[in-house]
Amino acid sequence: MVGILKRTGLAVALPLVLFVGWYVLSAGSTNFYAPPLSRILTAFGDTWQADRLQADVAPSLLRLFAGYLLAALIGIGLGVAIGLNRRLRATVEPVLEFFRAIPPPVLVPVIMLFAGIGNGMKVTVIVFGCIWPILLNTVEGVRAVDSVVLDTARSYGVNGPARLTRVVLPSAAPQIAAGLRQALSIAIILMVISEMFAASNGLGFTIVQFQRSFAIPEMWSGIILLGLLGFVLSLLFRLAERRALRWYEGLRAAQRAG
Amino acid sequence: MLEVKGLRKVYRSGSREVEALRDLTFTVENGELVCLVGPSGCGKTTLLRCVSGLLDPTAGDVRVNGQAVDGPPKGMAVVFQEYGRSLFPWMTVRDNVELPLKQKKVDKKRRAELVAESLDAVGLSGSESAYPWQLSGGMQQRVAIARAVAYEPQTLLMDEPFAAVDAQTRADLEDLVRQLWKRLGVTILFVTHDIDESVYLGQRVVMLSSSPTVVQDELIIDLPAERDQLTTRAAPRFIELRTRVYEQIQAAKKNTGK
Repeated sequence: MVGILKRTGLAVALPLVLFVGWYVLSAGSTNFYAPPLSRILTAFGDTWQADRLQADVAPSLLRLFAGYLLAALIGIGLGVAIGLNRRLRATVEPVLEFFRAIPPPVLVPVIMLFAGIGNGMKVTVIVFGCIWPILLNTVEGVRAVDSVVLDTARSYGVNGPARLTRVVLPSAAPQIAAGLRQALSIAIILMVISEMFAASNGLGFTIVQFQRSFAIPEMWSGIILLGLLGFVLSLLFRLAERRALRWYEGLRAAQRAG
Repeated sequence: MLEVKGLRKVYRSGSREVEALRDLTFTVENGELVCLVGPSGCGKTTLLRCVSGLLDPTAGDVRVNGQAVDGPPKGMAVVFQEYGRSLFPWMTVRDNVELPLKQKKVDKKRRAELVAESLDAVGLSGSESAYPWQLSGGMQQRVAIARAVAYEPQTLLMDEPFAAVDAQTRADLEDLVRQLWKRLGVTILFVTHDIDESVYLGQRVVMLSSSPTVVQDELIIDLPAERDQLTTRAAPRFIELRTRVYEQIQAAKKNTGK
């Protein structure tokens, strides 16, 4: 119990110091572009009411989830196929490395040409940007499945779909999860960027609108909201990951102890 | 009956060729317990992978009850040396034992019976819900043996199964193998590098040469069927037999200049 309190205390301490520091240092600020935190917080309460959450935050989140889920499905699906097939891997791996090296925001204007400026474009941008860590990690994870594990599965007749769902995917799961974790933060970045380029609603759009209309405290409050959103999503991800990969944590702890 | 005839395996990588097995011929009668023993690095594992249908031989063939082996045969189970890699760490003990049975389309009720019986037979009742990595090395190898037993094989291959457990656990597990063999009437091919173990366990010992491997000699172990770690290992006949095997293994090493 004391341990948990201590850990929570340590985790909360630095954010608290930063927050208080910002609050105190900015209290007397007369700079128009860096208003006191107290004003930003007031703006936060006034700005992010139910109607705006529904009008701007909900569409952003929907795009984010649609793009992220699609990227996960395609990335894991393709990754398994590539990881299991040596010849396919040799053929596509250099190309994948090339695509991965392209900074995804660069593609926003290009994708706009093809997919317009609607939700389709934003989802496409998110998929295109965050699929790479998922895909490449899945390929690695599937390729790295232990040869003894595969021999065991084969000699006990674990073939076909069961081989995939009961052996290959669980074995690659820790690495796939690492890819999914990286992809989540990329997805959030791309959600905002795609909305900044061309949109009529959404978080990125709203923040740019505030900036252009010199509603500076509101703009800052939007940035804080984005930060909180990213934080909560990664927290949820970690919780889900810890639940799904409890065996992996245990295995690693056992290996360290042994 | 398990027949190995003229088995040869050459590994090729580029222009380099390594002849692991040169010419192996031996048979194991139904219900027999035969130990294969040879110097380290004599291609025992290669041989076992060929016999279990996991590896295609370069020449010669393996037959189980007259049927040529060209993939893992149905009535065969394998216990691998690396229990830590052969058991699936993402599954509980129960699921590990049950998965091959599911693949064999054994119905649910019978599956539960087989899992319970086999875990009971290896002395692990009550560990069904544990994960393999929560168990000691010896217990993990017991789970692997239970998985093989539950599979109800006619032929059981064991690849240096006790090489990685401590000496006392090893003695217990040797007795367990003898006891299961007598009770179930399976054919067992037991590969080991431990000369005493081969004499203690087997009805017959097949000695292998160094790589490129041929059969060096065969020896009938005419010890009583009831064996005991204390009295059998101290019996003059046991010592005679182990000396014979030891001499042959030494001779095998000399022949190849190692």
